[in-house]
Amino acid sequence: MSRPTAPKTSFLATLMDIPRNVWSSIFRNPLPSNDLERSATSFTNFFLHIHPVKVHKNSLRPAYTFGLGLISFFLFVILIVSGILLMFYYVPSTTQAYDRMLDLRGSVAFGTLLRNMHRWAAHGMVAVVFLHLCRVFLTGSYKKPREFNWVVGVILFLLTLFMSFTGYLLPWDQLAFWAITVGTAIAGYAPVIGKDIQFLLMGGTSVGQEALLRFYVLHVAVLPAILTLMIAIHFWRIRKDGGLSRPEDADPKVTLEPMETSSAPKASVLEPKKVYGFQGLVRGPLTKVGQIPDNTVFSWPNLFLAELFTFVVTLSAILILSLLFNAPLEEPVNALHPPNPAKAPWYFLGLQEMVSYSAFWGGIGVPGIFVLLLLGTPYLDRGPKGVGKWFSRDRLLANTIFITFVVANIIFVIIGTFFRGANWAFVTPW
Amino acid sequence: MRLALAIGTFFILVIHGVVFYNQFGHQWERNQHTYFDQARVFAKTDAERAALNGRKPRIEQIVVSNFGETRVDRCTTCHIATDDPRFGSYAEPVKTHPYSPALGDQQKNGKWERRHKFSEFGCTVCHDGQGRGLEPEYSHGKDEYWPDPLLGYATQENWRKDFAPKLKGKEYMQANCAQCHTDTAFPGTALVTKGRGLFFSSNCYGCHRIEGLSDGTIGPDLSDVGKKWKLDYLWGRIADPKSILATSIMPKFNLKEEDIKALVIFLKSRKGRNFAETEIQRFKVKLTGGAELVQATIKPVQINPAEMLKQGEKLVLDRACTACHKLGDRDGGIAPDLSYEGLEKDGPWIYEHFKNPKSTMPDSIMPAFRFTDDEFKAMTAYLLTLKGSPAPAQGDAIYKALCLRCHGEKGDGQGPIAEHLDPFPRDLTKSGFMNSKPEARLVASIRNGVAGTSMPAWGKVLSEEQAKAVLGHIQTTFTKEPRRELKAREIPAKNPVAMSQESVSRGETLFVNRCAGCHGKKADGKGPNSLDILPKPRNLRNTFFVNSVDDRRLLESILYGVQGTAMPSWINDGLTNNDAGDLVNFIRSINSKPKGGQNAGAVQ
Repeated sequence: MSRPTAPKTSFLATLMDIPRNVWSSIFRNPLPSNDLERSATSFTNFFLHIHPVKVHKNSLRPAYTFGLGLISFFLFVILIVSGILLMFYYVPSTTQAYDRMLDLRGSVAFGTLLRNMHRWAAHGMVAVVFLHLCRVFLTGSYKKPREFNWVVGVILFLLTLFMSFTGYLLPWDQLAFWAITVGTAIAGYAPVIGKDIQFLLMGGTSVGQEALLRFYVLHVAVLPAILTLMIAIHFWRIRKDGGLSRPEDADPKVTLEPMETSSAPKASVLEPKKVYGFQGLVRGPLTKVGQIPDNTVFSWPNLFLAELFTFVVTLSAILILSLLFNAPLEEPVNALHPPNPAKAPWYFLGLQEMVSYSAFWGGIGVPGIFVLLLLGTPYLDRGPKGVGKWFSRDRLLANTIFITFVVANIIFVIIGTFFRGANWAFVTPW
Repeated sequence: MRLALAIGTFFILVIHGVVFYNQFGHQWERNQHTYFDQARVFAKTDAERAALNGRKPRIEQIVVSNFGETRVDRCTTCHIATDDPRFGSYAEPVKTHPYSPALGDQQKNGKWERRHKFSEFGCTVCHDGQGRGLEPEYSHGKDEYWPDPLLGYATQENWRKDFAPKLKGKEYMQANCAQCHTDTAFPGTALVTKGRGLFFSSNCYGCHRIEGLSDGTIGPDLSDVGKKWKLDYLWGRIADPKSILATSIMPKFNLKEEDIKALVIFLKSRKGRNFAETEIQRFKVKLTGGAELVQATIKPVQINPAEMLKQGEKLVLDRACTACHKLGDRDGGIAPDLSYEGLEKDGPWIYEHFKNPKSTMPDSIMPAFRFTDDEFKAMTAYLLTLKGSPAPAQGDAIYKALCLRCHGEKGDGQGPIAEHLDPFPRDLTKSGFMNSKPEARLVASIRNGVAGTSMPAWGKVLSEEQAKAVLGHIQTTFTKEPRRELKAREIPAKNPVAMSQESVSRGETLFVNRCAGCHGKKADGKGPNSLDILPKPRNLRNTFFVNSVDDRRLLESILYGVQGTAMPSWINDGLTNNDAGDLVNFIRSINSKPKGGQNAGAVQ
């Protein structure tokens, strides 16, 4: 018996093959060249399998979504990465926090860039999430079957605001201290429980060490965890609700035969008389399998390239902003010396402006009604028409109400940001 | 799409390149290399040279823990030659910190020895600036947000261009010297001491509180003003108060530039507790009010009876009375004209008013100043000599000369100083008021003044005819409506209810039920409704006013109201003459305690 000799050349070949084998063990498929491989690439990759194998052409129209949801997500990713790096240098202590900011600015490698990226991405995320919300509303995408995902989205928007708000305090400079003082005071205007919420947030009657610690824990642990979970649900629901919304006429009309329902369903609907796709089964009495003209394209490369493109644009924008503009760092906290006016973060300035007219209605009443209306929108507006079209005529009333709220808030934010001077008196910025 | 992707990716690469370049090309490294190179030239031994060759640029820092919160001063990272005497003639930043006997440095065996060693004091304790910074812009505090830029060396870009040059100079550092050297005789803090003197001689203390030095309540507390504000702001607030806050009521003082500078340095040194103080010292000052410190600062003028008038005049003019009051052509624009003071007031009144302004005018905002009794007497004597110039004969000319300052150009009581007076000057355009009062009473108000208010008695300035002339001018120009025949009112000439404990308590109940909404529970005219009312409800605790009016007038005001004001007619509202009598008794009872007057005997 001659043992199979392992010739040296063969071992060398093994060595030579290592990169290719490692590669193919990680990415099971080669770069796809046919439709089967394209679908396999999508569903065998952990990061890609959340996408459908094929995606509707309407979902890829840039002018339909503007990629706002994706941009929000990528900003969140940037925030997590830069945030974790910042955590290595930060101490949530009133005596050290500001000094750490100075160290970040002066002596930590890439400290300024990290801080800038984190700050601008945070502001950007608040803005983009809000724009995303506007997009979904104005295209009527919250309608059946996407009602619950809309609710999740509204919660995500509120979480984003809260996330940004809690992060605002951490630099422990005058801007942070007084913005949070004002912000928590607005929360204090809520009836009955307002004062308790304020106390719970601040861990005392004024913004101090306890408040800093609470905001820190909320900002780096509690809220990101909740946010991540909610984002996962949000994404999962997109798939389960049939992908992005699209107008009814995106697919040519086909007549569908109702399933026979006269006889009581048997123990299993999967009797081998007919063969359904699973989608057809869960969707109810109509089966669409094989009857709908194919208006979809493969995700690889159409969707993935678009996503990559969005990511590159988002990252570039944040990097450029971070290079050009430094995140503000004002005087260290001086509780004896409030700036005049003390302003909340810009996205709460609309609230603050309204609070200056009426504490309860401006701070709690009107925004509370707005949020409740937002949450209830899909359950109040049951008309099935106007889905998937910007400013659809069928949704004139809903859109008008929504735009009124949004424009009013934007106007208030602008007034609060640029037109309010000392003692909250009206000033012109020029 | 793919092209855009490629471009975008390239972009990110470029940005990373820029970031890395910025990250690794530090100015401070270049500075340290400059130092090493030059030090190698100076080096005398090979060992020294070898040691220098082994040194690599690194961040140098001094941790200072003896002065308040721990500081980390990285200044010596760039200013690496501060303690190397060989670099005395080099340019900053690689330059020796000067040695000077004034700093306490001593020369021993031809070698200087520092009194303030950098390893103990760091840099920012004396110089301010941001110790942790490694870029000149930030570490020198030029960034608009850094509260303490390099004291006397750096100014910030947003500072006012006309002030900024005046805010440079080593002497500003005295504010920081004074954090430890609190002795007023210490030569190194001469300007702080001078500023403290000015704080008293310019009467700043009358309005401002500084813990341990003064307790004025009109202006902001300045105990930690040096911690709150930068030099630019302090200078601006003193030199031109209204330029920074339009609603400021602080007068513009007649100060020379070097005086302003001394005041700014003094204020900059007020940072709450300084390094030299312990908790217990601060507490002691709180208990004693810091009397010793104050006495060490104000040197009283020795009054010589022969030169009393002259010394009084000098005090009035030097001690900033005209920062508020008008006297001749000096006018502070806040308080009444003193030009006719000798004709309007008598000696005891002025003296009382000096000692305690509220004792003669309960709602006066004038602070009580700390002069000696003799000084007050001299000033009183001087003020009594002020007789002004004879008043003109024409009504409109009289109004312009005497009345306009309070009652205003339009006669609406909004004169230039009106907002500082309490009670507010009468709005003469309210015909309801003007025409419901008999002419005799209005003339009497002009000639006899209104007690307890800022309305002086013009009787010695204006004759009966002149008073009538100015009243005529007011009637035709401001009130406009012609006088009508007054309806006779049924008013008891005397209080129908005798003064008694029961009457007072009945009156009090009535007062709380009917009057407190405007006049306030304490009857001080500050009820919840008073904010929306003009003229303000009368302060019924103003003893001088209440005692100057008779029962009949009080009864009339209660029963028939005061037309042209918010005071309603209570006779229509179920108030009987006896009820009104009880109210009058209540009002009299809260004013019965003698107020002031204890110093009256002091003035002859």
